[in-house]
Amino acid sequence: MTKEAVIEVIKKNIAANSDDIDAAGIDPQKSMKDYGANSLDMIEVVSTSMRELKIKVPRSELTDLNNIDQLADKFLEYVNKGNG
Amino acid sequence: MADKALSFSLADFFFNDSPDVLTPPSDFQSWFEHPKIRSAMGLFGQQLLAAPRAGTEVLSSLDGKRHKVINMTSYNYLGLSTHPEVIQAAKEALDLYGLGASGAPLLSGTFDLHVEFARRLAQFKEKEDCLLFSSGLGGNVGAIQGLLRKGDIFVLDEKCHKSLIDGGTLSGAKMLFFSHNDPASLEQMLEKCKGKRVLVAFEGVYSMDGDLARLPEIMKVCAHYKAATYIDEAHSTLMFGRNGRGVAEHFGLEHEIGMSFGTLSKSFGGVGGFVCSNARIIAYLKGYSSPWNFSCAPSPPVVAGMMKALEVATRDSTLRDALWKNVAYLKKGLLDLKLDLGRSESQVIPIIIGSSGEKLIQFAYEIQRRGLFLQPVDFPAVPADARRFRISVSSQFTQEQMDTALTIIEDVIAKGLRA
Ligand SMILES: Cc1ncc(COP(=O)(O)O)c(C=O)c1O
Repeated sequence: MTKEAVIEVIKKNIAANSDDIDAAGIDPQKSMKDYGANSLDMIEVVSTSMRELKIKVPRSELTDLNNIDQLADKFLEYVNKGNG
Repeated sequence: MADKALSFSLADFFFNDSPDVLTPPSDFQSWFEHPKIRSAMGLFGQQLLAAPRAGTEVLSSLDGKRHKVINMTSYNYLGLSTHPEVIQAAKEALDLYGLGASGAPLLSGTFDLHVEFARRLAQFKEKEDCLLFSSGLGGNVGAIQGLLRKGDIFVLDEKCHKSLIDGGTLSGAKMLFFSHNDPASLEQMLEKCKGKRVLVAFEGVYSMDGDLARLPEIMKVCAHYKAATYIDEAHSTLMFGRNGRGVAEHFGLEHEIGMSFGTLSKSFGGVGGFVCSNARIIAYLKGYSSPWNFSCAPSPPVVAGMMKALEVATRDSTLRDALWKNVAYLKKGLLDLKLDLGRSESQVIPIIIGSSGEKLIQFAYEIQRRGLFLQPVDFPAVPADARRFRISVSSQFTQEQMDTALTIIEDVIAKGLRA
């Protein structure tokens, strides 16, 4: 799986979790907070994305990520490990 | 996952993919049964065998035996749960009224005691009226869920207690979190709320960090945007302010606050919650606040005890003064040990040990083995890089208990962190 594909999954889930955001308009260099997501929204987006990617990343490893791009890197690391 | 067990936490099993709702997630079971997790979980839910005094007794999960301990975990900040006058008042009410209220407040659960206590609480907080709840959590959930509707906006400090978040979720209002204690971030959020009904919530003392709301700055922003305000004084009522009315009194801003919440489980030493505000909104809330309307009224003997607790704590400043003296003494001792106490400005004193969950649990066992009952607070309750112990100072601590505790903390935590 490519990083672009991982980013697409995250973008799709951000859009699905919000009334007024379109996946195409999301910039991976920004954080979910920049798109108005609160901490509950972020848990939802992260969980649905991990479910779709069939990975399980400990929440404690996600706490100091700054943007969507870094989240995608972290997810990709686990996708490549084949971690279930 | 087994070897990584400690990097997982309860935050990782919230969503459950198992087809049967009554079966937890498959990986939850293996995580939960991992020896290291079992050992960590063993610290929680240990049984107290006596009143939550500064010296008490626990059935320890270390060895399954009774141990006398110095208790720095209970919220019995002013020692009121065992104050002789409080106990006496509760006993008398127990004889007169029995154990339970046996009814919801609107039908048959309202006793003269409830009416009188609510009146005194409103008077104490200098508000027109008060609504009493059977739990603190229920009070926050009930007030927020009763005040806000879909289409409204609930703006909260990101460190606000779960009960406020749950109230927001239940209300259907949109929730926006501002960065902790940051007036500029609050302003950004309120800028997005123009034309909407908005309620802003914050706490007097934050429960995990012990820092105070930056009330003057926050209230100024709220006033500029004409946003209604809600303060949770769970950890500050009876302790802060010249008359013990809380952090809002401490800053001289209590009349500007729209609604003031307090709990009866901490400084009051009992159980229950209350909100104080203008009489019209309290009357309205009675119709729409489910934890009030659809739940049995608080137990009469507990209410009688709390009413006495209010009297004892406010007739003079003896208990508060004793508390602040102990806070100063312990804080100095901990700072001399070069421990990281975060931004604590209150009787809630965190000892932040950092990102290692393993060290946290190891220290906790060692401390408790030495006779200090001090519980760890782990991620996700606090940030993963700021796991901690949290001291709840009590006016009841003796000099000797504090000195013993400081020695144990030095030997285990201070030396352990340097090792
Ligand atoms: C800030 C805050 N609000 C509300 C509550 C809920 O109070 P209670 O434990 O009395 O239900 C707590 C404590 O748990 C708290 O820390």
